[in-house]
Amino acid sequence: MKLPRSVLLQVLSRSFLLQASWNYEQMQSLGLIYALNPAFRRYYSGAALLAAYRRHLEYFNTHPYLATTVIGAVLKLEEQTQHGIDPGFTISEFKSALVAPCAAMGDAFFWGAIRPVTAVVALLWAFHGSLWGPVLFIVLFNLPHFWFRVQGLIKGYGGGVRVVSTLQRWHLSDRAIYLKQVLVVLLGLFAAFIGAAATDHVDGGIAWGLCAAPLIFGLCALMRRRGSPLLVILISSLLLLGWFQLY
Amino acid sequence: MFLPALGVTVAVAILCGLDRTAAGQFMICRPIVAAPLTGWLLGEVGIGLQIGAMLELLWLGRLPVGAAIPPDDSQVAVGCTYLAIVSHAQTGLSPQVVAVASLLIGMPFGKAGQLFDRLARLANARLLTMAELALDSGRFDGLDGLHLRGMLHFAAASLATLIVVVGGGMLCLPLFFKYLSGPLVAAAPWVYLLFPLVGIGSLLSGLRVPRAVLLFVGSFIFGLFVLALR
Repeated sequence: MKLPRSVLLQVLSRSFLLQASWNYEQMQSLGLIYALNPAFRRYYSGAALLAAYRRHLEYFNTHPYLATTVIGAVLKLEEQTQHGIDPGFTISEFKSALVAPCAAMGDAFFWGAIRPVTAVVALLWAFHGSLWGPVLFIVLFNLPHFWFRVQGLIKGYGGGVRVVSTLQRWHLSDRAIYLKQVLVVLLGLFAAFIGAAATDHVDGGIAWGLCAAPLIFGLCALMRRRGSPLLVILISSLLLLGWFQLY
Repeated sequence: MFLPALGVTVAVAILCGLDRTAAGQFMICRPIVAAPLTGWLLGEVGIGLQIGAMLELLWLGRLPVGAAIPPDDSQVAVGCTYLAIVSHAQTGLSPQVVAVASLLIGMPFGKAGQLFDRLARLANARLLTMAELALDSGRFDGLDGLHLRGMLHFAAASLATLIVVVGGGMLCLPLFFKYLSGPLVAAAPWVYLLFPLVGIGSLLSGLRVPRAVLLFVGSFIFGLFVLALR
């Protein structure tokens, strides 16, 4: 039984609540069942439905934006199993093989690359006092977010186990590295902007802004030695307050 | 005036708390969005924008990977925006000064957010146990409801963090302004720039990309050169 578009839309909309009951024992397992439920109620009833729930109430943890890829493929496999097609492995085995790579790729791409890049772009506007900063951030971040959620479900449900090659074709790990290089460039520009802004408070030329670079490298080295940003801020601010109190 | 404002702040805090993990993850919870949103709703969008801009990069490198819980910068952003707006109305100090003061006082209280988030996730484990028991007894109608109840736990955790940030800030800020308002006014522009500098250092420390130093120094000098020409 092929799922109608309305059911797939329900699955997609429910995937936004995948982590509502996130817990340390099975992480997103209840969320997975919640997302699969509209389709399962089409596929099964009675004892078969109960058995399907039991099958999926097990450890499940992946990146929330790429979860629809796994969900789509699982739905396809459930459908194939109903038609007596044996893929040569259990659905549970397929899930556990796919969730970890999706989590790793999603973390690197979305949390490690897209989010900081869009945040720094937004900050370049926000530091000028422009409200376009937050708007840009939401738009730029959520375009790929929505695209991957929708495409993940379409490709996952359309391709079943072949979704693995779709994931490979997306080259998310490579794209994450390129985006991180863009991030470094943007951070350099943002640091220049802050350096220039700092020279407004002293009687010196903009060349004094160059001091920001060694300061940032020092802070970077401190953070690599497990320095806490919060402590650095508090201690530096106290020193500044003390300085202005004394002089 | 401050009570209705607190109601609005609570609503934004819960919205952002849910967006952070449980629902959507559209990144409304990021300080660069949450703080201006709170400020806009409370009629002082500029203060919110300054707080969001200062706070955004600070913990951005702390990724919510697996079971890791980053510091709750969403509630710090929302709570500190409220504190700054209230302080601005009460003291008449400039938006930048109250924004800096609120963040310096509110941020340490925000560490409580990690504890409350952890408690919410532990409470969610009980929902899982209830779901397993329901399936054992052949009942499955309530599974959706059990899952959605997890959102209540995350909402409660957000609220608890906000109470700690706002409560702690309300207690400490008057003392801060009483004894340090003079040096604070002078130091505020520097502290305002210090936040993103530490944020950039923190982000760079977690990046492992080829030619990072070259790219950073090149774009930094280029940026400064362009700004000098303006």
